[in-house]
Amino acid sequence: MHKAAAVVGIGQTDWVGDYRRVRAGEKPDDSYGYAAAAFRAALDDAGIGKDEVDGLIVGPTTAYERMGEVLGINPRWGGQADSVQAVVQAIMAVRCGMAEVVALVYGNNQRSAAVQYGGPQAMGGDDFLAYVYHAPWGLTSQGALYALMWRRYMALQSATERDLAQVAVGQRQWACLNERAIMRKPLTMEDYLASAYVAEPLHLFDYCLINDGGVALIVAEASRAKAIAARGGHRPVWIHGVGRADMNRGATSMEPRLLDFYRPAQKLAADQLYAMAGVGPKDVDALLIYDSFSCHVPFALEGFGYCGTGDAGSFIAGTGIGPGGGLPVNTGGGHLSESYMQGWNHQIEAVRQIRGAEGARQVPDCRFVHYASDVAGKAVTVMYGV
Amino acid sequence: MMASPRLFSLYDEPFWASVGARNLALQRCTQCGTMRYPPGPACPECLSPDATWDAVSGRGEVLSWTVFHRQYLPGFPAPHTVVTVQLAEGPLLVGTITPDVPDGLRIGVAVSLHYHEQLDGTVLPTFKLLKESIHPIALAEGLYRVGG
Repeated sequence: MHKAAAVVGIGQTDWVGDYRRVRAGEKPDDSYGYAAAAFRAALDDAGIGKDEVDGLIVGPTTAYERMGEVLGINPRWGGQADSVQAVVQAIMAVRCGMAEVVALVYGNNQRSAAVQYGGPQAMGGDDFLAYVYHAPWGLTSQGALYALMWRRYMALQSATERDLAQVAVGQRQWACLNERAIMRKPLTMEDYLASAYVAEPLHLFDYCLINDGGVALIVAEASRAKAIAARGGHRPVWIHGVGRADMNRGATSMEPRLLDFYRPAQKLAADQLYAMAGVGPKDVDALLIYDSFSCHVPFALEGFGYCGTGDAGSFIAGTGIGPGGGLPVNTGGGHLSESYMQGWNHQIEAVRQIRGAEGARQVPDCRFVHYASDVAGKAVTVMYGV
Repeated sequence: MMASPRLFSLYDEPFWASVGARNLALQRCTQCGTMRYPPGPACPECLSPDATWDAVSGRGEVLSWTVFHRQYLPGFPAPHTVVTVQLAEGPLLVGTITPDVPDGLRIGVAVSLHYHEQLDGTVLPTFKLLKESIHPIALAEGLYRVGG
């Protein structure tokens, strides 16, 4: 699947403006409306009409059929997936000849609709039983599960809260350079340490935002991608490789989370990715990590082979993950500071960095961007490149 | 209102019945002997559907804990501590801890299983520290100094 497909168009909604409007009590749109706006922007960005789209993947927050109805698309192939699975499935479809130009669309009204990620109405239990199964003891929410994981990691690896604070602080520095980011007030180590705990040991700033918005990408088969680019679009951003490994056994009682820290899955996914892409951590110019919680970052740095087990805190301090650092991480600000688009904002940030026109936060000579995702032990990863 | 046990599958009912009888039991595969939790229709080792409900010893070790500083659920005002314990039999079990914010709560500390009757009459498994019985690995790795 190496370079079988490329991203030829990206789009998003106005995350900052909609965040303000929702905070003021408005409901700017619903999930389908955000997705439609992002889709229009992605088509414009690619320079194509929707009649060229023959594949459709919708995010988990919208129904496949209804999205096709809203967008007026009768694809010959399609489905529903989270952000990184959508990318992987689009490449597979293209590689198999099931589609040539696939639209990946996501919209989420989670803030204006007051979607709950913890408590009696916690979402996600149908797919991830651990999110709700321990409610009789007062334990719900993904944040609490990551708090348990980070607490144990701190104990076993002699890590500190300051080690983790570097993530929120570094990503906020990126966000301060990003006009599309929602949280742009500078954040210091002292601010972090003085902030309230939510599920201790995680602080407020370890948690992602909750905001409304949409994202869309157009993924095209290689020859179609070149043709679209030749008609005046952006140069294609190639997908050089993908990898995936899941840990499901013992998931609800948190065995792979607390006993393995999901490392075996991340290692397997990374090995697949680096072999397919022909590049590895030393070649990567920017690393984007799914960060619903800040501790995803140290876990991924270790699991995907950027540093040794237990070394993430010293690696971040020594190498630097913020602007000017040796390994730029979550260069838009990520879920913590830019926008919580459940991995979709990372995909378009990868494309933007490879295109190379991001101004103050542009990673110099950016040739390879690695996206590393691990949501509850489902490790999925993509290498974007020139 | 307290959070009552929720039945997510057919197999949760015997589990909560055993808790109600203050004799917590888990499924043990009759073919290969593996104990499993959460309860389910087949052994994840050998896929056998046949299992017995065996009482657990009630001994375990704290793998981790978190303190909720916000109230998420009725009956659990903040601060509220939840632990994950690995039972001597192997399975991991989430639990409350009694008292709710005990001194000496550390990773690797030994705990014993107890039962707590909630205001709505339902019984909940809870753990208590066995302070004199720290897990030897925790001592060797110096885990005592880890704190909030």
